[in-house]
Amino acid sequence: MPLDKIKTAVIWILLSFLFFSPSVNSSPEEGLPRRIVSLGSTLTEELYLLGAGDNLIADTLYCQRPPQAKLKEKVGTIIAADLEKIVSLKPDLVLATSLTNPAVKEKLKNLGIRVVDFPLARNFQELCGHFVELGKVVGKEDAAKKIINSSREKIEALKKKIQGLPKPKVFMQMGANPLFAVTKDYFLNDFIEFAGGINIAAQAKSGLYSREEVIRQNPDIIIITAMGLLAEKEREQWFTFSGLNAVKNSRIYVMDTYKLCGPTPVSFVEALEELIEIFHPRS
Amino acid sequence: MKSNKKITRWCIYLFVLGIILLGISLLSLCVGSAAIPVRKIISLLSKASDSAEYSILFNIRLPRIILGFAVGGALSISGVILQGMFRNPLVEPYTLGISGGAALGVVLSIIAGLSRRLGGISLPVSGFLGAILVIILVFYLSIRKRVLRIQGLLLYGVMISFVSSSLIMLLMAISGADELRGIVFWIMGSLEQPNWLLIKTAVWVSISGLIIAYFFSLQLNALSLGEEDARALGINVENTKKVLFLLTSVLTGMSVSICGIIGFVGLIVPHFIRLLVGNDQRILLGASFLCGSSFLILSDTLARTIIAPTELPVGVITGIIGGSVFIFALTKFK
Repeated sequence: MPLDKIKTAVIWILLSFLFFSPSVNSSPEEGLPRRIVSLGSTLTEELYLLGAGDNLIADTLYCQRPPQAKLKEKVGTIIAADLEKIVSLKPDLVLATSLTNPAVKEKLKNLGIRVVDFPLARNFQELCGHFVELGKVVGKEDAAKKIINSSREKIEALKKKIQGLPKPKVFMQMGANPLFAVTKDYFLNDFIEFAGGINIAAQAKSGLYSREEVIRQNPDIIIITAMGLLAEKEREQWFTFSGLNAVKNSRIYVMDTYKLCGPTPVSFVEALEELIEIFHPRS
Repeated sequence: MKSNKKITRWCIYLFVLGIILLGISLLSLCVGSAAIPVRKIISLLSKASDSAEYSILFNIRLPRIILGFAVGGALSISGVILQGMFRNPLVEPYTLGISGGAALGVVLSIIAGLSRRLGGISLPVSGFLGAILVIILVFYLSIRKRVLRIQGLLLYGVMISFVSSSLIMLLMAISGADELRGIVFWIMGSLEQPNWLLIKTAVWVSISGLIIAYFFSLQLNALSLGEEDARALGINVENTKKVLFLLTSVLTGMSVSICGIIGFVGLIVPHFIRLLVGNDQRILLGASFLCGSSFLILSDTLARTIIAPTELPVGVITGIIGGSVFIFALTKFK
């Protein structure tokens, strides 16, 4: 008897690649998601802001904020999520980003799991749009709108405060070797503009930027971000160009990657305040 | 009498390698970050259910094993054929610019936004088109007076792979952040493939490739003595070279366009098997296919379990394990 069973199993395995097609699971139940897996650190943070943290069952190793997020089950990193682990947790919603491997997203959808994709925001406007979208998906639309309105008000107030002040020329870099600048395609550009600065690299087609060009445009302020331990070294290197205004006035800053590069509508305002402090120290 | 003995020995080799392949496949089915006890797996094998465990086994682990089987085999026999044909131990499926062409095709389609409009299938298709273009280019550049010059093939191939990798870097430098990520994911290479149709295609292409290559195994044996000797033995050298070049190109183009660039399989496996079974292409082809499949499935299993829940690129494992095992084997057998 058991031999028969093994036999059928073996035949089944051999034939499976011929006839197998992904089983379509029953469509997700109506109602709000109760078992959410988040594949982005900003998404995790936003879920907590919206008060949906309890429905989050797993997140990535990068999800460090708020502290409760660290305790959740981990399903890999932002770029290398573990499909098996996700499926074994039986989620009813997976929140993905544009850093999530496309093959993983497609596979999850094939398996009948609801995947909602949140591309990286290119400006503050999009950031708010995605936040409301997330609110809708988890049934907290009102909370999302409330948070956004309060952020918008705070930003308007900040903008009013710096109105009429002289605009410093700013160079913001995300990488060295090759030198990588923040252009208008990255939402970091909004930080510079909202804080009353002029981004010298705003119009560049790609982030790859030549050091000569930076020196020619002579920025008043240089901000280094998203480079971890290399940032300090990069800062020292800029100091060798003594002709730069930013060097003469010692206005080269290394900024917290977490705050600048993965902002929620709330932390956006906090980071903006910090930048205004740097751009307009006497205001 | 002597040849009988040889055939028995070959059958034993194939049998043992087949058992190893089966064992590794089963192991790969049983391990993973979602710990499913073996007893449960056995019960799941015999009857279908819609539990998460069943999904993991048959929709996540099994497709990877099947794709690993096809691609590992295809890359390995391509390596065997090319090393035999070129009589050069350093030649591998990626040497001839085919992978570069496929990569260029994929990068162009990502940048042109085809993948967003046409879905997941557009990448493999454009990769394969890129590979075909390079094959045709290398092929016609190397033909002089109706003779396919092996040296020309090698040199043009290497040059085209340099040119295409530089072009890829150029495209990466001027492309936006979103496209850049798509390219990096593809270049890292992975057996994760959501599309069953592509997996089935890979299986059929590689098995047919093995069969066709087998028909040419005697010609290949002759070719590995050198073109002059092969001609003297009455082999149609020109035809053989052309068919084999096209065959390996299709096998490699298929592998690269479905899985991205997974290095070392096509270089190391043929050498390893040659140390084991000798230089006769008749056994070399089949044994390499089985060994390549096992090697890739094992590497992929390690890649997804070693630091789970994070998955390593499979090329990392094939490089480290393949390279060191090979160096070890080389010193032992000398």
